[in-house]
Amino acid sequence: MSNILSIDTVSKYYGQLKALDGISFEVPENSIFAILGPNGSGKSTLIRVLAGLITSWEGDIFYKNHSIRKKENYTNNFGFIVEDPSFYEYLSAAMNLRILCRLTNSPFARIEEVLSLVDLSDRKDELVSNYSYGMKQRLGIAQALLHDPKILILDEPNNGLDPVGVNQIADIIYKLSHEGKTICISTHSLNEVDRLCTDVAIMKKGRLVIAKDIRGVSSKKRFFRVETFDAKYVLSKIKSLRGLSVLAAQSNSILVSQSVNSIPLTENKTFNKIKSIKSIQIESDLIEYYYV
Amino acid sequence: MFRSMFVNEAIKTLQKKRTYISFILLFFLVPMIVLAIGNGSGYLEMQIYGQLKDSFIVFGSLTNGYLSSYLIIAILVGQMPFLATIVAAEIVSGEYAKGTFRMYLSRPISRYKVLFSKLIVVIIYTIIMMFFFVFYTLGVSCLFLGVGDLAVFHQGLLFLSDGDVLWRFLLAFAISTGVMLSISCLCFMLSTFFKNSVTPIIITISTVFIGSAISFIPLEIFELINPFLFTGYIDLFLSAFHDPIPWNIIANASVTCVVWSSIFIYISFYHFNRKEILT
Repeated sequence: MSNILSIDTVSKYYGQLKALDGISFEVPENSIFAILGPNGSGKSTLIRVLAGLITSWEGDIFYKNHSIRKKENYTNNFGFIVEDPSFYEYLSAAMNLRILCRLTNSPFARIEEVLSLVDLSDRKDELVSNYSYGMKQRLGIAQALLHDPKILILDEPNNGLDPVGVNQIADIIYKLSHEGKTICISTHSLNEVDRLCTDVAIMKKGRLVIAKDIRGVSSKKRFFRVETFDAKYVLSKIKSLRGLSVLAAQSNSILVSQSVNSIPLTENKTFNKIKSIKSIQIESDLIEYYYV
Repeated sequence: MFRSMFVNEAIKTLQKKRTYISFILLFFLVPMIVLAIGNGSGYLEMQIYGQLKDSFIVFGSLTNGYLSSYLIIAILVGQMPFLATIVAAEIVSGEYAKGTFRMYLSRPISRYKVLFSKLIVVIIYTIIMMFFFVFYTLGVSCLFLGVGDLAVFHQGLLFLSDGDVLWRFLLAFAISTGVMLSISCLCFMLSTFFKNSVTPIIITISTVFIGSAISFIPLEIFELINPFLFTGYIDLFLSAFHDPIPWNIIANASVTCVVWSSIFIYISFYHFNRKEILT
């Protein structure tokens, strides 16, 4: 699968604070790509850079191998929800979308299409100030889709939604993914990543921790968390065994990866005989490991 | 594209209730003052004639629609900066505050054009508001009090004949609108800096207040700088009713207002184009 978007060593400073520290990763075409990270990790800053809301930043971003710095109107290919959906609340939903249609020369007929996609056709003439948060979030997706962009960038689309709202947004995202759109979701929810996404980039304190194809990784490797009484001793033993690699070690906890073709570590007699091992657990959620 | 942006800004402005505050206020206030002038014409004339009554015999009444308009404009023009800032203060800062720029500016549009469309709306609003102020006042005054010669004080008591008055009101409108546009531009510039609409209003009104105060303080330094401050020309519309009309002062005021407005607009565009939208 080719990459539709490449983030290349993007940095952003707010005074002395480094909000983004040389972030690089690629977004495959037609993926549902999660940008995962806790609050303050730089997710929103990265999205603002992409949206052109932040004007001064370092590095480069390529859309289909063309630098967005050199390509004017690149945002024609992008649809954004940046943070909370924000609208002219004194106008109706339809009027809000008309305003945005004029900016991209999109036909007004498109308004009905996108409102029907997010199930708001019946309430298009109501003032946005009367909308619930979930409805505003759906209207946010509708406005991002107005000009039929190739990539949809959604900043925490499930923030503040009840379970029904979360399901509605998930349905819309699946639908759009099946239509061939690439969707980037910024989130701090592991469930959301697990449930929706095909790829993930994990950010922490402005840095990229890891960027992975979730399906690809879990189909080739198994992961185990080994709890020990003496991590040093166990680490030296693991290193001497074939087919195992240590991904990370933290106090008495060691994360080990193993090829799916070999005998699972939990059933490996040689490994189980190593002294100082307290327990061996299958680590189903590698993403959680990196995130936490 | 610019036309679309202008239509957007016009819709947004027209749909806001605050846009109509100035018009509603003037709509009710002006007739009340006109009626008060009509009822108190005797006292008003005594104030105007003063000691002249000892030397002249006056037939009829000088209180008419033109005098009423002249007085009302003179009284209220000092308050018009408050009304001129209503739209200008909010047009950019309101979008920062509500976060709507996150949606609007992430489209493939030029920030210059966005700001220019907003500036045009502010300019049109200011002109329409001043037009309404001057000519609504004139219309209501003439309707209630009729027309006649206009008596104004300029190097003594100056009588302007009935036919010589209307074009002077038009000139007064042009002069006061020019000054008011500079005030709007100042407020517009401040609106690009702040995330709330109250701060631009406070700073603009404070600037006008201080600038006006300077023009009244008889100190050499202030007299030296006053011709270069647009705030010193708020009551310059009165010169439209002088004879002869001081065209050189009006020309100087025009240049001053244009220069200040251009500076405010330039700073607005420079700042807004580099502004990082973080709210």
